[in-house]
Amino acid sequence: MNAIIFSALAGVVMMFSGIFTKNTSIITNVARVALAVLIAVNLLDTYGGWMIAVDTKNLLSFNKFGFFFNTILFVATFLFFVLSGRDIEKVGSYTAEYYALIFFSLCGIAVLTSFNNLLMMFLGVEIMSIPLYILTGADKKNLKSNEASLKYFLMGSFSTGIMLMGITLVYGATGNFNLPPISSAVTGAVVSDSIIGPLGLLLIFVSLCFKVSAAPFHFWTPDVYDGAPSVFTSFMATIIKAAGFFAFIKLFEERSSDLRVSWKIIMPVIIIATLLAGNITAVFQQSVKRMLAYSSIAQAGFMLFVVYANNNSIGKEGILLYAAAYSLATIGIFAILIRMKDYTFNGYNGLAKKEPFIAAVNTILLLSLAGIPLTAGFFAKYYMLAAAINAGGKSVLWLVVIAVLFAAVSVYYYFRVIQAMYFKEGDAEVENVNNRFKFGLLIIAALIISIGILPSVLLNWFYF
Amino acid sequence: MNQLVYLVPLFPLIGFLINGLGRKSLSKSLIGVIGSGTILASFIVSLVLFFNVKNNGAVVVDYFNFINIDSLKISFAFQIDALSSLFLLIITGVGFLIHVYSTAYMQDEEPQHYGRYFAYLNLFVFSMLLLVMGANYVIMFIGWEGVGLCSYLLIGFWFKNDNYNYAAKKAFVMNRIGDLGFLLAVFWLIAKLGTANYADVFAHASSLTPFDVTAITLLLFVGAMGKSAQIPLYTWLPDAMAGPTPVSALIHAATMVTAGIYMIARSNVLYSMSAVTMNVVAIIGLVTALFSATIALKQNDIKKVLAYSTVSQLGYMFLGLGVGAYTGAVFHVMTHAFFKALLFLGAGSVIHAMHHEQDIRKMGGLKKHLPITHLTFLIGCIAISGIPPFSGFFSKDEILAAAFAKNPVYWGLGVAGAAMTAFYMFRLYATTFLGTFRGTHDQEHHLHESPSAMTIPLMVLALLSVVGGFVGVPEILGGHHELHGFLSSVLTTEVAHESSKNTEYVLMGISVAIAAIAIIFAINKFSKKPELQDAQGFGKVLENKWYVDELYDTFFVKTTLAKAKFLKDIIEKNVIDGAVNGVGKLVNYSSRQLRLIQSGQVGNYILFMVLAIVVVILLWVNDNHLYQYISKLF
Repeated sequence: MNAIIFSALAGVVMMFSGIFTKNTSIITNVARVALAVLIAVNLLDTYGGWMIAVDTKNLLSFNKFGFFFNTILFVATFLFFVLSGRDIEKVGSYTAEYYALIFFSLCGIAVLTSFNNLLMMFLGVEIMSIPLYILTGADKKNLKSNEASLKYFLMGSFSTGIMLMGITLVYGATGNFNLPPISSAVTGAVVSDSIIGPLGLLLIFVSLCFKVSAAPFHFWTPDVYDGAPSVFTSFMATIIKAAGFFAFIKLFEERSSDLRVSWKIIMPVIIIATLLAGNITAVFQQSVKRMLAYSSIAQAGFMLFVVYANNNSIGKEGILLYAAAYSLATIGIFAILIRMKDYTFNGYNGLAKKEPFIAAVNTILLLSLAGIPLTAGFFAKYYMLAAAINAGGKSVLWLVVIAVLFAAVSVYYYFRVIQAMYFKEGDAEVENVNNRFKFGLLIIAALIISIGILPSVLLNWFYF
Repeated sequence: MNQLVYLVPLFPLIGFLINGLGRKSLSKSLIGVIGSGTILASFIVSLVLFFNVKNNGAVVVDYFNFINIDSLKISFAFQIDALSSLFLLIITGVGFLIHVYSTAYMQDEEPQHYGRYFAYLNLFVFSMLLLVMGANYVIMFIGWEGVGLCSYLLIGFWFKNDNYNYAAKKAFVMNRIGDLGFLLAVFWLIAKLGTANYADVFAHASSLTPFDVTAITLLLFVGAMGKSAQIPLYTWLPDAMAGPTPVSALIHAATMVTAGIYMIARSNVLYSMSAVTMNVVAIIGLVTALFSATIALKQNDIKKVLAYSTVSQLGYMFLGLGVGAYTGAVFHVMTHAFFKALLFLGAGSVIHAMHHEQDIRKMGGLKKHLPITHLTFLIGCIAISGIPPFSGFFSKDEILAAAFAKNPVYWGLGVAGAAMTAFYMFRLYATTFLGTFRGTHDQEHHLHESPSAMTIPLMVLALLSVVGGFVGVPEILGGHHELHGFLSSVLTTEVAHESSKNTEYVLMGISVAIAAIAIIFAINKFSKKPELQDAQGFGKVLENKWYVDELYDTFFVKTTLAKAKFLKDIIEKNVIDGAVNGVGKLVNYSSRQLRLIQSGQVGNYILFMVLAIVVVILLWVNDNHLYQYISKLF
């Protein structure tokens, strides 16, 4: 509950700070402090230290898994603020409002990690998404930004409609919005005599697929990610996406084995389609930013395994690891990308000679995304696939093999960046590189490698 | 005392790190002090441990769980018992002397290579210590591989010479073949018994089937063949002489090559269970001993003679193992470490004086120029020839006596080999030190005795070669065989001492007499008139080492290279490259097509989504049919 209240409060504080000062660096610092407080109160909540108890009438339920997920995402946001704070200031003249919107989005996330009721889920998704529509269009004078914003809004509304339809159908079949009863009502007898409940769940599933940009509901992703100001793309592609997965897990957590039967075909189809659309299309891109948009779709394909593996502990540990590994690496890569003069692959030519440190960190992060051992990305992928095998046994082996093959394809486009940095001649330009930026990158790289060597440290903390 | 155990390997490791990392900044003298000092420290700790074992018995020190998979637990543990503590003394003691010797021998190297040399040498000692200290086969294997690596690095120490690199590669590849056998044996053990700990393996050895025991012990023996240079994997050892001479003394004579003997002695419980393996070990050992002795008869390179002699002596040790005289074999390891290290270091001293000339035909008459080297070398020659009361006599005699008890033919062939040993050693001695100098005038002018850093180790080793045998004086000569008593806790004895005292006296007399005759004959033959021409007839076959290298080259190396060429030119170029490029092209093509779906039109996107929803619902409705269909497909 702390996280929900404090993130909303922080948003309000940020809005007011815009009235009192126009000094953007003060605003950025206020945002960082507010976020640090948010992390702190969430940790207090996690370990039962100090919490605001509100009777939510079972609409929300809090557990350690959710708190821990919050922590990961808030810490990732904090690193995002440290690395890209200066770039948020540069998007336009409403710095305070941008921060406020980000905090509101975090509030939505906090709701999503604790909902126990379909209406709350709907609220969480919307609180999280609506600020993003605005942030996408934050670069007001840029036509691409406006276009992306409108597209995002239109398609987002469409998926919201689908979700509402699904919720309605589920309500119609079961008579209530709470999570556990619905799942149990949808199974067994109801399935046989009524199509309404499962159909509702299917529609909710589709709209969540839209949120995490799973194919074939991913079409908005490349356009929006490409059009939005790069800093906000970074935020959307990482923290928001991971939160979407949490909603997925939470919704399907109570799903019984009967239900799993009916997902046997749909899930693999969606996973393969997502891996295919993400990986294959990324190969041909010329812009690193657009490549990262497709890569985020490809990574979503991997994260979908946790939904497939449903409710097993390896999967839950894995999605935590994946959220951390993927968010950190992508935030770092975006932070570097934002400061590049040229967003194409050629823009990275010769970066290693000019900025060896940045090139090295970028390499580590890209290796992590590709899933090379000794980086966090390796264990993230490993846990996902292990979870699937654990849940489905030999019958999912083929799916796992396909996923690994696509991971191999992904190496191609990630390594293109490394190749450009190290093996091509050119004069890549990075702007505004200062020591704090390098320090932030160093922390991210260190986290990625330490998780890659000792994943159990992070996971043990989870069980602490 | 248990808390001291880890210090033994730790000191050389620290030495390796300091010398390895600081090789460019440390001075030569400092490198030498660190390199030797760390080994001395290990030696002192080893002494403490040795007496602790002697008084209080064996200890196993368990440090941490090294590998933990399912029910298999392999701990990082050291076992200090009679066998390993004895080896610790040999390794660190002889190792220390050789390090000291090296500080002078390698003086001409540039500082950074000097540092590299000592770093490798320290790393070697570290690995060798791991090998003997490990309390299970896995730790032993780590050391086993470590010494192989160091051997490779040190043979190719002068890496600018391609022949040396080739020799290093050869040693490495040959060792790998053996290592495969070792690994398979360890896996086999783990598969059957679920453990690799010595204590557990030996305790449960009786639950293995005879076939398993034979297979495991034979595979282990394959590992020993590689590491200890037995037929058919011995050819790398003579070539390994490409390394600096102290390396040959330490690695290729005194310590590493005895790892195979150590391993079999360690596994004596298993070996004693399989008569087949014991016979194989004995026969391979005997054949190797004879075969390489014949080659040594006609070699003209001072180090090559010693190298073949080493192979031959290792053969004797395996003969000892094969006939069940484990103690005798370990005893011979010890005495051999003394006199063979002495001989190699003496040879190094000669080579040092002769400015890297190794051909004995160009030496002669060095007696008066190198008095200390001459005297110590002579002692080494007498010791290896088995003349009492020098150390080699006792250990060799014990092996031969056990061989006689097993099968008199073994004994006869063994004595023949001993005669050849005496002959070629004194051929070497006479050609090098007696007669007149045959080198260039310039070389003669520069002949000089080596510095004291080299002669003192020679003297110490000479002393040990003289008295080293007294720890194992057999009872018929009025001794107690202290070594036997000491090792009895680890090594089983199954030699039936059925031969009477008189028989033993006779056997001893015959072998000593034959060796003495061979010595006198060789000195007479070669001191006045050394062999200077290339050998003719059968001698040429021996000089060319029975053409085994050529044989291996034709049958294994060339055919392998031919296969590799086929794979490279045909398979790699057409099949693999074709497949890789084909996949790449396919991905690229589909990427270009898929990209087109991303049209930028919101209307299209929404249409796709609606269609997708319909498809998802259809999939869901027909889920069971589809699933059954797919299940049939896979």
